[in-house]
Formats: sequence, structure tokens, C-alpha cells
Amino acid sequence: MTDDERARELTPPSAPALRLRGISKRYGPVVASDNVDLDVHHGEIHGLLGENGAGKSTLMKILLGLVQRDSGTIMRGETPVDVHNPQAAVALGIGMVHQHFSLIDALTVWENVILGDTGKIDRAAACRQVEEVSRRYGLPIDPTARVDRLSAGERQRVELIKCLRRDPSVLILDEPTSVLTQAESAELFTVLRHVVRAENRAVILISHKLAEITAATDRVTVLRKGKVVFHSETSATTPPELARQMVGRDVSLRAEGAALGMLPVDGAPAPADPGTGTGTDAAAPGTAPALRLRDLTVTIDGVAVLSDLSLDVAPGEIVGLYGVEGNGQSTLGDLLSGLVLPTSGTVELAGRPVELDRPGALHRAGLGIIPEDRHSSGVVLDMSVAENLVMKSIGDVSGRGFISRRRMHAIARRLAAEFNIVTPSMDTPVRSLSGGNQQRVVLARELSAGPGVLIAAQPTHGLDVGAIEDMYQRLRDAASGGVAVLLISTELEEVMALASRIAVISSGRITGVLSTGEATAERLGMLVGGVAA
Amino acid sequence: MTASSAAVPSGTGRRLLRHLNPGPYGWQTTAATVLALLVALALSSALIAITGGSPAASVQALFQGSMADWTAWTSTLLYMAPLLLVAVGACVSARSGLFNIGQEGQVLIGALAAAWVGLRLAITGPVLLVVMLAAAALAAGAWAGLSSLMYRLRGVNVVVSTMLMTFVAQQVVAYAVNMPWLLQESRVGNAPVSPQSNPLPPSGLLGSFGEYPDLQINGGLILAVVAAVLVAVAITRTPWGFRLTMLGRNPLAAKHAGVRVNALGGAALAISGALAGLAGAVLLASPVGVNRLQPGIAMNIGWDGLLVALVARNRPLAAMPVALLFGVLRSGGGFLAATGVPSFLVDVVKALLVLAFVAPPVVVALVRRRRSSDRTAGSRREATPVAEEAIA
Amino acid sequence: MSAADDISTILSSGIRLTVPLAFAACGEYLAERAGTMNISLEAMMLGAAFGSVATASATGSATTGLVAGVLIGLLIGFVHGNLAHRLEVNTFVVGLVLNALVLGLTSFLITISSFDSHQVSQVSVPWLRDIPLIGHPLFVERWPVYLLILVIPLTWWLVERSRWGLELRAVGEQPQAADVTGIHVNLRRRQALLWCGALAGLGGAYLAVGEVGSFNQNMTAGRGYIVIAAVIFGAWRLGRTLLGCVLFGLADAMRLALPALGLTLNSQLLVVAPYLLALLAMLVFATRNREPKALGQPFVRGST
Repeated sequence: MTDDERARELTPPSAPALRLRGISKRYGPVVASDNVDLDVHHGEIHGLLGENGAGKSTLMKILLGLVQRDSGTIMRGETPVDVHNPQAAVALGIGMVHQHFSLIDALTVWENVILGDTGKIDRAAACRQVEEVSRRYGLPIDPTARVDRLSAGERQRVELIKCLRRDPSVLILDEPTSVLTQAESAELFTVLRHVVRAENRAVILISHKLAEITAATDRVTVLRKGKVVFHSETSATTPPELARQMVGRDVSLRAEGAALGMLPVDGAPAPADPGTGTGTDAAAPGTAPALRLRDLTVTIDGVAVLSDLSLDVAPGEIVGLYGVEGNGQSTLGDLLSGLVLPTSGTVELAGRPVELDRPGALHRAGLGIIPEDRHSSGVVLDMSVAENLVMKSIGDVSGRGFISRRRMHAIARRLAAEFNIVTPSMDTPVRSLSGGNQQRVVLARELSAGPGVLIAAQPTHGLDVGAIEDMYQRLRDAASGGVAVLLISTELEEVMALASRIAVISSGRITGVLSTGEATAERLGMLVGGVAA
Repeated sequence: MTASSAAVPSGTGRRLLRHLNPGPYGWQTTAATVLALLVALALSSALIAITGGSPAASVQALFQGSMADWTAWTSTLLYMAPLLLVAVGACVSARSGLFNIGQEGQVLIGALAAAWVGLRLAITGPVLLVVMLAAAALAAGAWAGLSSLMYRLRGVNVVVSTMLMTFVAQQVVAYAVNMPWLLQESRVGNAPVSPQSNPLPPSGLLGSFGEYPDLQINGGLILAVVAAVLVAVAITRTPWGFRLTMLGRNPLAAKHAGVRVNALGGAALAISGALAGLAGAVLLASPVGVNRLQPGIAMNIGWDGLLVALVARNRPLAAMPVALLFGVLRSGGGFLAATGVPSFLVDVVKALLVLAFVAPPVVVALVRRRRSSDRTAGSRREATPVAEEAIA
Repeated sequence: MSAADDISTILSSGIRLTVPLAFAACGEYLAERAGTMNISLEAMMLGAAFGSVATASATGSATTGLVAGVLIGLLIGFVHGNLAHRLEVNTFVVGLVLNALVLGLTSFLITISSFDSHQVSQVSVPWLRDIPLIGHPLFVERWPVYLLILVIPLTWWLVERSRWGLELRAVGEQPQAADVTGIHVNLRRRQALLWCGALAGLGGAYLAVGEVGSFNQNMTAGRGYIVIAAVIFGAWRLGRTLLGCVLFGLADAMRLALPALGLTLNSQLLVVAPYLLALLAMLVFATRNREPKALGQPFVRGST
């Protein structure tokens, strides 16, 4: 069947590779999957689109046997099947490429590839298979290499090989491009094309990025709050339609496109930025930068994770630091959180160098930070909302050596009101708040100290569109209030929408700084790949 | 300093401790604990009955030895004091996320330091006692501090190093009481010398407060109760305690919030060691023993004190009644032998009690989680592993 | 006595003191590779020692006693596994409690019972036993000693070459990833503890019905902890772990032989050597850390 024929036919004649009917799953009061119907056919890439928390992952976990459904039927072809554990999923020919957490660092490539199989281990055969699969799909890899020595792109290859070696008829990919450069993403989609066209497999591509879905899929299903709300051939729909279905209301791609993973539309005005104008030059002459990173180098185990990184951010300016995950951004975030010390280089705030080896020095010098992984360093999940809000200023709510709970609660109530933190009480553990509210707790704490500089590292990761929009607004407000904002992000759309200047990071160095006016996806793509533009 | 050496502790023990400090627990946990306690008592009784003893007589003997009269109460309280000191220390380190299990060794080091001060320094009068206690706390605090140092410099797991250091401490004390130039007792005529020190001078002994008819409240107990109250207040009401809790719950966030992670963690470990060391000094100087340093002076008080903290779920005030219970078992255990039931029985009872207190909250939490996540599939998922295990 | 005889005697007793450690070390090594820091090893050895003597006395067969020891080790491994890797009680707490429980229970029971002495038979390998110096120590031994020839390579093969072992290693390194790959993490850990229990049981039983022929209170006297020290000393490699066992066994033999030899080497130093060496090993090898990454961490699906 040619592509054209396929495109013409709305319903392929063969039975679907996978058919879900009425799948439901509740977690306590939360409905993660609500009566979901889904048909995935051989020879197609099926996009599964939805916001964070729309139920995409739950659905896939059900398919993989990691979670048990409450009701509904799963059919392979015409036969109802039961997927009660991951082995059963493998036996049914369902394979998944996970976003994170599926390779064991300390094992070699071939060991990882055969992990989860059964039967005797045959090293030679396993290596042969790896090489064969890698040749067939153009995914070069050394089967005897240890996984912890591989780059993100190579790891993704191993994941793919691991999955494809089992010859799955249904292949599921969960946000596969989040750690890849554009070139690597292109390579991935080429392989996927080959997998569906030449080998007639079915691919489910899970994503929250509109652009990716429109570019790479044949059909698309949109999930919202656990329900299937839209289903169509990809060619028969438009990004605005998909966006509307995903969010459940009309959205303007111009204003909210970034939150949905779409680039600002052509001719969109540069974001309101009265303070500094747009130029490649740093701040307006005369004003000292609020934040100055100078020649920062961080070496971990002999590897330079950051090398000679220099960047200035002026008061009132939002600078985006854009790059693919794993290029040193998290180390920079850790450094600016006081968790890691630079091997060399300095951080200056308002013109004064900060003594980074003194605990809390950055905070005292007026730097606020929304860390990349709020659970690991942003909040203490088992402590209360009030405690988390005053965490950095516990001395201020204490008198004569004792903590004043009254004062602590007063401050907490004020901040909760100001930042719209929805919580049953100030004594509720942060663990039981939603992601958006947890993020607001962090933001409220950091901004309440009146910082001159705000670092926002992946501030919208895992939030829904409403919360993302709220976060964008607060970042813009902070900047227009004179705070220097450094936005560290892997989302191109996000930095394009918010920042007036974009610095691109690749392999721990800044490969270029562009104003939003000069920045195009192509130029940024080159820089991300490490090519100076 | 390079970035890697400044990197934050990876927190093996910390994650464990999160499981050690279960959150709020409702009536299910209480019910489960009561049930588990009954099972533990039933098992203990069954053990006595099967081996030909009489459970009723054993309970009677336990009561006789621990609570029947003022003398018995005195002995119970003498055991309670060091147990409580160790337990309070264990609470401090556990709160900070560092799981110290080397109390037995720290008790020994404390006793060693106190004995050396008491026997080798020419201090007279009541000052001696103060210096002895201070020396015990300092020495044992430094001993525990070594584990913190090993962790900080080389990432050595605290649980493992405190455990290994216990065995080192045992040999240090054995060495000290075998060396005449250190602490071995003086030779009197041709009498053989034992591996033990001379008895402490009277000014080095912990006296009793108040002379109620036969009931003696030893200074050690006062010390322990004061320590428990102070630590409880410090943990729950002061910025220091706030930082300590933050460190225990999430060290990265604590470091981020400007807590001096290494210093605070080291201090917590040292304080827990110091309190165990005080317990060692109390064992040496109070009438619970023979007031000589002997290799067996710790009498497993270190291990038991740790168990007290576990049962009290790392809350110093809750540790008071638990330490009392363990004191009752200890002093009552001595009376068991008279009924033909070996006193080792109390060790069995203690272990079962700890299990009865530790397991239920975890189990209740687990059941709740299973219910909320896999309501319908729960039974199915339970069935598979059992079948698989049968094959294995 | 000649110097050669002295050396042969010390070697001989060193080997006998090494054997129980070596059995248990094979078990502990495997359990730790799967991510369990199993400090109830002491309970396993002690319980097995008691069980083997009691059973041997009841049945009149030391071999049956040996089997009973293995079963007791398995039972304790089963209890530990289910408490720590099913009910998710902190593994160190489980270990502490089990150690206290078994010590109390065996002390209690031995006080009120008396057992006949039984010992497994001795094997003397012709020709080889006549090799000077090492012949007698190595080739005139109770027969369970020779089980080591089987157990050591088998343990190595299980961990390094079998699929089960590959999964164990995955579980000890990154349990979350192993889970996603379809490995039942806690089941593997429980299985590893069973293997550990069986071997620790064998070691404890060998000590009782192999070497001594009887049980006395707290007979293992911390050997379980010495084995843990050996695994750490061996930096989680089987060969080096066993080397540690031999070193620690010889140190113990030296300590026992000192009075007879009229040497004045400090006996406390020899007792403390294993622990100091283990601490030293951790301090020295810390940067090239080969510890299984998830060692001692409970696995709960969904948490990171």
C-alpha cells in the first residue's frame, strides 16, 4: 500500500492492530481514564496528544501491564486479551520506549537489551542481534559499551533497539524527543517512518507538543481529563483545532501557543518588553547587569559539564537559556541553587561576586530560584505549606530562639492569597498539593524575599496549560517589576515567547546569543547542535 | 574543591528514614498495633508454656522484679536512665536523616572516658562527676563524629560505619582493661588481676536525689529526663530543630535553603553519640553496675536504646514511657530465673514488642496505598508473586 | 614443635574459621548485589547453628542437622524478605530485630535444653593430604567444607552469567528502571535473600555440627557482621570478598594460637582487624565506588 492510498482511505480494511474499548481507571476519587476507546492500525503513526495529567501515561501503563484497568477491553486484532504484567505485554507484541528510567547505567548495551527477556543468556547471540537491529534501522551502537558512557542520543538508540529487537507489532514512544537535538529527533522520525511504512508496524507517539504531532503522525487522538475528546486523520485537522480540543476552550496560538508547544505565529510581535529593547548586546549601557556569570566551569569526574560559561542578565530583562536536556542546564541550576560549586569562574549579583561556598550566600545576595526538579530541591514534600513558605527565612519568624507559629502562619496565609495557592490549610503537607500549586509555593517563597534575580529552571515542566499561562504571567510581571529573570528551558516555544534574548547552550558552553527578533527555529537548531550560527 | 566533592549526600539512609517516620496514623494503625502487641504477648506466653514454664508465674516474676516494691522500682528506674539517654540520642540522629546504629560502641567509649577521668585524674569533690560526664559525652560524641567525618570525606555509609565502629569500640575497651598502664585494676598481693578497672572513688559516683522510703531517684534518671525534654523542645520548637527536620526530610532542599548540611548532620550524629556516651557514664557511675569499667559494661543498653527509639518513632517524649517499659523488662528479667524460665525470655519479648510497634504503621500505609492505586487488581497482583515465589 | 608444624596448625584452624564465613559471604554478596544490606546475617547463622545441633540431637544424624540449618537460614531469609521487601519495613530495623530475636530465642532454648553432640564425618583426601604444610589443613576436613568448591563458582555464575543474576544486578543498581523493564524488583530481592539465608544457614550449621559438635550461647559471636565487613572489604566483588574471609579467618586463628606460641601480639588488634580493614577499604575505595547504587534502599513503585 502506498502512502497516497493510505491517506485516501479513512478506515484501513484490516482489523486494527490494537483496539481499546471502554477502558476506565480511577485512582481514588481521580478518574485517570474514562471510558477510553482507541483504534491503532498497522502501518500508521498514531499521535496521542494531551496536556500533562490528561491520562496519556495511565493509558499506556495499562497497555504495558504496569497498571491494571478497572474496566474495559483490550483487543489485539479481534481477540480480547489480558495484559496483567509487563511480560504479557511483550508476549502480545507491545513494546515501549520510555522517556526516562529504563536503562541500567552499570550494565552494557547488550545486557540492557536482553533485560526483561526470559531463558538462558547467550552473549554472542545478543550482541549479534543488537548489531543486526542497529544495522537494519541505521542506529549505530557498540553492544559492549557500558550505558553510563553513552550520550543521550545514543541511549535513545539503545532504547529503540531494545524495543525493536523484540519485533513488536505495536511500538509506543513516550515523549521521545525531550532529550534529543533536532538532528537526533529527525533521525528518530526517519526510523519510525521506516518502521511503519516498510514493516507495517503500528506506532503510538505520545506527546504534549502540537508541532511534533502535526509533523510526524498519520492520525491523532486527543485526551482531556481521561476522556477521548477528539479523533481525526492528522491531515484533516489543524493545530488550532487540536489546541482547542486539548485545552477544552478556544485558545489563541498567538498568545498561548508556547504553552502548547507551538512556535509563535509568523509576524507575532516580540513579547512586551519595555525595559531593555531587543538587541544582542547585553543590558542598556550604564546599568550594571543584575546577574553576571563569568567563565563558569564545572568538572565532574574529569568531565567538563560546564565550560567557560558567561552570561549577563540585566534588571527587568528575561533571558532564555535554551538547549536540549542534558547539556549542562541542570548543573547550572544546581550551581545557582548552591548545590554544586564551580571548578572555576564566578557569579556576580548586582556587581558583587558571591562567595558560593558559603551556605545560603546566593539567597542572601538576592537570588531567587525555581529549581528544575521541585521535588528534589524546591520543596520538602513532608513538611507543611507554611513551613515550606518560610523555609529560607526561618530566622525571621523566630524570636528568642523559638519559632513563632503564629507569625509563620500569618506570612504563609498572606503569600497563599497573593499567589493563589490552593490548599486545604497551611498545615497541609506540600506532598498533597497539585503540581501547579507546589510550583506556586516555590515561586511565592522565592519572590517574597524580594530578589533582584530570579532563575526559573524548567518552570512549567509537568504543569497544565492554565498553570503554565499563570507561570508565564508571573515571570513577565517579575521582569516588569525590575527583576532580572534567567529562564532555563528546553522548550523552544517557551523561550521564544518569553525571552528578549536567547542564549543557546550545547555541551556545557554557550554557542550563541540571539535576540528574539533574530532567532528562528533553524538558527537555534544549528546552535543547539553545537554549530555556531 | 571540585564540584564532585561538594556534591550533596546521596542519601541512602535518608530515604530509608522516610519510611521510619511514618506520617499521621489513624485508628487503623492503632488497632493494628494493639493486635500485633496481643500476638506478640501470645507468642511469648506460648513459648513459655511449650518449654514447660508457666506464663502467669513469669508475668508475676516480671512484676515482682520491676514494680512490686520500691526496691524493684529503684532497679527499674536505674535501667531506664541509660536506655532513655541512648534513645533520645537516636532520635536526634534519625531526625537528621543519619541512621546511627552504633550506640552500643558509643556507650562503651563514654564509659571508658568517664572511667579514665575518674581513676586517673586527681580531681576531688563534686567537680569530678561533672568532668566525668563531660568527658564521656565528648569522647563518645567524637567517636560518632568519626562516622560523620568518614561520610563527609569519603561517602562511607553511616549505618555501616557506626555498626563497624561498635566492634572497634569493644576491642578498645577490652584493650584498656587489659593494660595495667591504662585502666587495668591494680594488683593486690598475689591475687590474680581481672580484665576490669579499679572501682570508682566515691566522689565519682552518681548519687540519688531525695530519700523516699527505699525509692531512690538516681541522678542519671534526672539527667535523662532533662535531656529528653530539652531535645523534644529543641526539635519541635527551634529554628535549629526546623533545619534538622528539613535536613532529614530533604537534604537537597535543606542545602538549597542555606542549611549547613555537613555541619548540622555532623552535629546531629555527634549529639547522638554524646548522649549514648552519657549513658555509658551513667552505667559506670550509678548503682546499676559495679562501678568498675568492664568489657561487658554496656550490657546491650546501646542496642536496646536504639530499639526504644524505634518503638517511640523517634519522638523523645514518647521514648520516656518506652524506656520505662524496657527498664521493667530488664529488672524483671532477673527474677524470671527463679520460676525456671531463663531470663533470656525478656530478649525475645523485647524483639517481638519492637516488631509489633514497627510493622503495623508500615503495613497500614501499604494497604492504603494498594487500595487507592489498585483497587480491583489488588487481589490479582497479590496472587501472582505468591505463585512465582513457590517456583523460586 | 617445629615452625612448619605451627604454621600448618594455624593454617588448619584458619581454614576452619574461614569456612563458615565463606559460605555466608557467598550469600551476603548475592543479597547485596540485589540491593539488600542484610544485617540479619548474624541471625541466620546463629539460628542455623542452633537448629542444626537440635536436629542432629533429635535425629542422631549430623547431616540432617546440616539440612535443618539450611532450612532455618531460609526461614529467616523468608521472614526478612517479606518484612523488608513486601511490607516495606526498613531493612536495617528488620535486621536489628531479627538479630535480637534469634539471639534471645536461642539463648533461651539452650538454657533449658541439652543436646547430644554430633559431628559430620571427616574426609581425608589420599595423596594430597601428604603435601607438606598445606596438605593437612586443606585436605583433611569435614565434608561440608568441600561444598565450597561447588558453592563459590555457582554463586559467581548465578550473579555474573545467569539471567537471574543479570536481573539481580539491575535490581540492585536501578530498581525503578528494572521495574519498567518488567522485572519484579521486590520478588528478586526476596529470592536473593533466600539464597543468602540458605548459605548463611549452611555456614552457621557447619560451625555447629561441623567444627564444634555442639551449641553454646551466642555461638556465632558476631561472625555475621564480620562477613558483612568482608563484602565491604571486597568492594562487592566475589573474589576479593572471599579473600577478606580468608584474611579474617587467619587473623582469628592467629589470635587463638598466640598463647600456645608464646607470642605477645595484641589479641584485641587481631579481633578488631576485620572491622578496621573494612572501614579502611571503604575509605580508600570510596571514590571508585562499586557499591550497588540502590544498596539498602527500599523499592516502592512510583517513587524515585
